[in-house]
Amino acid sequence: MRSKHTRRAFLGLGAAVAGGTLLSACGGGSASGGGKLKFWDMPWGQADYTAAARKLTEAYQPAGDLPAAGYQEIQWANFAQTFSSAIASKTGPAVSTGGGFQAFQFADQGAIAYADNVIEQFRKDGTLDDFLPGQVDAMKTAKGYAAVPWQLDFRVWWYRKSLLDEAGVAVPTTWDELLTASRTLAAKGIFGFGTGTGAGNNLGSQGLLLMMLNNGGGLFDPDGKVDVVTDANLEAMRFVQELVKAKAVDPASISYTTDNLITQWKMKKVAMGVHTAGLDTDTGETDGDLRVMSPLTGPSGAKAGLVFQNNIMMYANTPSTAGSEAFLSYYIRNMKALWQQNVVAGLPVLKSIVALPAFQKQTQKAKIIAEWAPVAKTFASRSTTLFGGLAAVDSSQPLTQFAQTVLAGGEPKAALSTLQGALQAIVK
Amino acid sequence: MTRARRTLLLLVAPSLALLVLINAYPLVYAAVQSVRDGTLIDPGDFVGLDNYRDTLTSPAFWRSVRFTLIFTAVGVFGSWLGGLGLALLLRTRIPGRTVFKTLLLLPWVVPVVVSSTAWNWLVATPQSLLPTLVHALGLGTPLFLADPVWARITVCVFKVWISVPFMMMMISAALTGVDRAVYEAADVDGATRWQQFAHITLPMIARSTYISWILMTIFCVNDFPTIYLLTGGGPVDATTSLVVLSYRTVFQNFQVGPGVAIAFVMTLSLVVVSVALYRQIRKAHA
Repeated sequence: MRSKHTRRAFLGLGAAVAGGTLLSACGGGSASGGGKLKFWDMPWGQADYTAAARKLTEAYQPAGDLPAAGYQEIQWANFAQTFSSAIASKTGPAVSTGGGFQAFQFADQGAIAYADNVIEQFRKDGTLDDFLPGQVDAMKTAKGYAAVPWQLDFRVWWYRKSLLDEAGVAVPTTWDELLTASRTLAAKGIFGFGTGTGAGNNLGSQGLLLMMLNNGGGLFDPDGKVDVVTDANLEAMRFVQELVKAKAVDPASISYTTDNLITQWKMKKVAMGVHTAGLDTDTGETDGDLRVMSPLTGPSGAKAGLVFQNNIMMYANTPSTAGSEAFLSYYIRNMKALWQQNVVAGLPVLKSIVALPAFQKQTQKAKIIAEWAPVAKTFASRSTTLFGGLAAVDSSQPLTQFAQTVLAGGEPKAALSTLQGALQAIVK
Repeated sequence: MTRARRTLLLLVAPSLALLVLINAYPLVYAAVQSVRDGTLIDPGDFVGLDNYRDTLTSPAFWRSVRFTLIFTAVGVFGSWLGGLGLALLLRTRIPGRTVFKTLLLLPWVVPVVVSSTAWNWLVATPQSLLPTLVHALGLGTPLFLADPVWARITVCVFKVWISVPFMMMMISAALTGVDRAVYEAADVDGATRWQQFAHITLPMIARSTYISWILMTIFCVNDFPTIYLLTGGGPVDATTSLVVLSYRTVFQNFQVGPGVAIAFVMTLSLVVVSVALYRQIRKAHA
């Protein structure tokens, strides 16, 4: 009997399969998934954060013909690559959270839908007054609001009370006191400047930037140009060099990952150091032994903190601009639920959330909002605005290399000069 | 063109189309990116060979070349020596040979992200096991990941540890093809163990050796996770290989053109080395 599977049929089938594959590979994408707006979110907190954020997203009831929203968690690993390739292929989200400077970076590349309408709506209904001072203005660019802030990520000084008590050291309030305390602690084999610049750990470079800001310095001039070799920065890094000489810095710390550093805090090898707002929860010690210092007074009398304004952005590629705006407005107005459930590591930008008993109960975080937020400066300081080039600077290799050099005892002026050249090459 | 030839062409056409789509398109697109000053989502302007010129005149590039060469040389020959030793040992009739073989495969089988975390625990802090042991022996407290020299050594040893099982399997497979009668004849002729090894074993496994060298060279030059997860390329770039430099340039500094140019230079060098080693295989087989 002659087979039904002729060569012609086989070739036809092969062509159909290949054609189908090609078509599916080349098919146009959109920011809608199954008729919904795509909302991409990062894992911003403990394990139960994603479930809570998904629930909040899925509870969104759009008005009229506006699309509903679908939730997608995106991991931090290679997130820049994930977003960039999705945006380039027009398969990215309509709305997303992301890196602190991502909105500005993509705005420079024409991929962002500005949030002016959302801000205007917030202005009208009074929501704008609920934001902590300066937070919304930080999102403003020459073309409009690149995003809407939704939580704050601080770098602040922490201390372990029991170690300071044992050493008979008072909690430092100035740089001089910090150095003196570090010397006393070092005599007991305890480090007064816990830090780390190993794989994936930016706390070291951020800690050094905090010291620069505390001394009136920073990485940029008021126009946003790289301006690293300044007297203020040099003085700050010379102070760090003093800390290194005083054995306040663990020599192994330049290779510490965040986990290594947290382990050192847990093992009581570190008594003071710069960390995120979540050190107590990271170490699992919320019993009050780990405490946030008040902002230190620098040699010039200034106080400063470092803050990253994490934000929610909308993209130009969206099935419905009005839909994106409506969802973003909904999310900001209802995100209180995430803090009520205590699933977010970051600190709130809304006064109404700060006032929640669930938040005020977290005394260290409440202290950061009360004392550090008013003096906190952005990564872009002394520039008055955030800009796209910051995405390339934050956690960049030159900054890590600079921190490793200084924390290993390298000459500050040479390190700053090298950093100046390297940052100029990547910030355009 | 004959009917049979046309049919053949039609049969391979779908596969060819997929190959072009999957391999050639990204390669061509990357080549285009390497001569432009674009970002991850915008191809940017044509800048000619500026990215290549900047790459080849950058001290960071040459530092990475130097470390890549060290890492590859130690990775290839260290793992080959380790693998050869273990393969020869496991060829003898020792009890529990299969269990040993399985256990020895673990470093290769376990995901790098797991083994790098384990190694980090082993060496990262002064309280970690290895520094504590070294200190107890009165040999000081070496900073295995924080000192540039020690970090290079640690990363290279880690690579050898991961790669030895692969080499062991390659060489074990080659050794099974060596007829034991040849050794018996050599015994009769009074050849020593060393002479048997040098004049029988090594020449008989030469083909496999060269193949494993080619493969391991490619593995080492392209190895990103081993280095990145353990040291991130630090301290102060001490363990930054070309692939780590390329990644950082593209995805951390967002300099796509220069980063891709680094990758192209690296690939080209790898092709040259692979071709040279392949010629050795053909010579050994001739």
